[in-house]
Amino acid sequence: MAGGGACTLDVLAGSDGPGVWMTVGGVVATLASTAVGLLLTTRRRENPIGWLLLANGLVLAAMGVAEGYAAYAVLAEPGALPGGSWAVLFNERAWPLLFASVTAIAWLFPDGRLPSRRWRPYARIGAASFAILVVLLFLMAERFSERFAHVRSPLPEVSEAAVGMPFALSGLVALASLVGGALAVRSRLRRTSGVERLQLKWLAYAAALIPAAVVTCLIEVAIAGDDGPATGIALVVALTAIPVGVGVAVMRYRLYEIDRLINRTLVYVGLSVGLAIAFAGVSLAVGVAIGSGSTLPTAVATLAVALLFGPLRARVQLLVDRRFNRARYEGLRTVERYLEDLRAGRAAPEATGDMLARALGDPRLELLFWLPAGELHVDATGRVVDPPSGGDRVRTPVRRGPFPLATVVHDPALAERPDLLDSVIEAAGLAIEIARLRVEVRRQLAEVEESRARIVTAGYEERRRLERDLHDGAQQRLVSIGLALRHLQGQLPAASAEAGAIDATVSELSRAIEELRELARGVRPAGLDDGLGPALRGLASRSRLRASVEATDDRFEDRVETAAYFVASEALANAAKHASASTVAVSAARETGSLVVSVRDDGIGGAVPGLGSGLAGITDRIAALGGSVTVTSPEGEGTVVRAELPCGS
Amino acid sequence: MRIVIAEDQALLREGLRRLFEDAGHELIAAVENADRLRAAVSEHEPDLAVVDVRTPPTFTDEGIRAARWIREAHPRVGVLVLSQHVEAAGAVGLVSHGGFGYLLKDRVLDVADFLEAAERVAKGGSALDPQVVASLVGGESADALAVLTGREREVLSLMAEGLTNNAIARRLVLTERTVEGHVRSVLMKLDLPASDGAHRRVLAVIAYLRAGELKR
Repeated sequence: MAGGGACTLDVLAGSDGPGVWMTVGGVVATLASTAVGLLLTTRRRENPIGWLLLANGLVLAAMGVAEGYAAYAVLAEPGALPGGSWAVLFNERAWPLLFASVTAIAWLFPDGRLPSRRWRPYARIGAASFAILVVLLFLMAERFSERFAHVRSPLPEVSEAAVGMPFALSGLVALASLVGGALAVRSRLRRTSGVERLQLKWLAYAAALIPAAVVTCLIEVAIAGDDGPATGIALVVALTAIPVGVGVAVMRYRLYEIDRLINRTLVYVGLSVGLAIAFAGVSLAVGVAIGSGSTLPTAVATLAVALLFGPLRARVQLLVDRRFNRARYEGLRTVERYLEDLRAGRAAPEATGDMLARALGDPRLELLFWLPAGELHVDATGRVVDPPSGGDRVRTPVRRGPFPLATVVHDPALAERPDLLDSVIEAAGLAIEIARLRVEVRRQLAEVEESRARIVTAGYEERRRLERDLHDGAQQRLVSIGLALRHLQGQLPAASAEAGAIDATVSELSRAIEELRELARGVRPAGLDDGLGPALRGLASRSRLRASVEATDDRFEDRVETAAYFVASEALANAAKHASASTVAVSAARETGSLVVSVRDDGIGGAVPGLGSGLAGITDRIAALGGSVTVTSPEGEGTVVRAELPCGS
Repeated sequence: MRIVIAEDQALLREGLRRLFEDAGHELIAAVENADRLRAAVSEHEPDLAVVDVRTPPTFTDEGIRAARWIREAHPRVGVLVLSQHVEAAGAVGLVSHGGFGYLLKDRVLDVADFLEAAERVAKGGSALDPQVVASLVGGESADALAVLTGREREVLSLMAEGLTNNAIARRLVLTERTVEGHVRSVLMKLDLPASDGAHRRVLAVIAYLRAGELKR
């Protein structure tokens, strides 16, 4: 604003009237100031910042109106309207009011109070100095600017000698209080953190644009000899920056993006300067080489600039990050190194959460993956976790397009650094997605494995029930019937035909019971109730091969014992059927968390454990319980079937 | 004989009761589980307790445990354990104590053999189911038993089942004298001590066979 004003005065001094760009700048500045002022006064009535912006807008508007009025009443149609000289006076001498409002904003921003009580006397002195300055300016006997040089002030004029000293003094004090405003902002920046710090950053950023606008304005005047579009744009930016910055800060809308804004500004300014230098250098060099007057230098320079744009932008961004945003620079470096490790297989995608914690400097940071199927969050190990919210933790969702991937749970301080947070998360997006997929697949696999184990276990349970039903139900009933028949037989004469028939029937019944018992044993050997050892010994004794058994007396889960038994049973049957073996050694032993069952025969070997063999089905069931079956069968050296079943301890 | 029965299935319990009563034995009590059996045995001190291996509440080995308890608390009471299948660990160990029998349930249908075994047990002898004996004689012991002739092996099995020489003779349709000859030969070949008592003989044979089994 101050720069804008200075620029305005500067240009005014050297020309007949304000150029079109100046007018546009003035209008935009007026509108911005008034609009933001209105917004703030309606929303934050108690905060004087809004009122100050409104006042600033009104002064600007009044000055604009006064200028137009003066131009019409004094220059175009002299004497047609009254008070032309008042308009000239106001237009020419009211400018310190603009500085006064800006100074007040700097002192009071953002809460409407002075930084501390110590500032109060200085604030009063500053306010007084501005007041005195305006009064003295209005009374000073000095000619107006060139256009209005012939106009006489409507107020009594005081000679410059009389007001010279007080004028200079109040001017100095006013300038000092403007500098004091900058000091106030700096002092607040130093002691605050969080939201207020961001608010101050917005103001500081806006204020920093003003010198930049002045420089742009001066450069254009120096090169083109007059103000033009660049000046206009710079003015609009400079004049709107403070009201907009203040509005953002007070309304806290997109408050958190200030760091990104500063970063981008620095990058693009640096980029522009670099490209301008490159353009100038190349066109000069080519021009010297082939002579001027050709369009070639310009074309070559343009090409050079176009080629330079991409790499230079990355380079400048890196430099800016390194210098002004160390955290982001380091964070992105960490992500980059991690991605390299990931590609090279030196890191696991599951470590993405730890890496983010390092990259963002929040050791308590958690990366929780979103599983849409279950609508729940899990950590890298697949454990279901409810993301904490509120308190001292903040959740930031990670998305890939419209799809939620994960949630980062982090320190609230990080939420004030969206540039850091977003860029690190974005850079790590692929790793997060991979990690999430792996966790999801692992969980699904675990679920499938669990359900498979459940199915197999249920199958074994079913066998046990069936065996019970056969033994305790059908078999006992048949025995009862047999007993009843025997009883009947006892009533008949021993030699009678009926007695003979009953006897034959009971014999049949006995065979039926025998067969039923065999059937039940095939379903599930009842000996398993007494342990694997007795069951295996029973199995061995029924084999037609000579079978030795060496079995642990330890007990295991029923499903483990049952599965182990059926492996041995199947292997023994195979040995008897296909291996031309004569002896078989069966062993069952506990080996570090596993039950290992092996069946070794002395047959011809060369067994191919193919599909459709009884062993294949058994192998599936063993696998379902987390175990494995291996068949070693070298030609001529017998066959070893070995099953390992996890048994917990 | 004075008999107590523990069998959870009413139909079978009734069948057994009739079986024993038809044979002229006195059935003092027929109960449905092992706990009641203990009470009945303590109360009546019968000659024989017949017990199902699986009874309520767990249907696992209540019968075996009850048998062991009777063995300790009432050594004079013979115990005949009936099972649906032969694989009941511990049963064989109990046989060696005498006054104990372990038979498959459906042996009751061979009424004469069953009653003979029951009486033997009641008198302090043994009864081991042929299937159990077969599993003892098969397997690894088969090597050691190779020195025996086929007939001698038959005699050995019947000895292990708990049969007396007389019963073996009847079963194999031989003279008792011939059986005695086979028995002597078996004991000599296996290097087992000769003994008059049928029970101690069974003990030696079973110990021998079990030693073979344990080696496996």
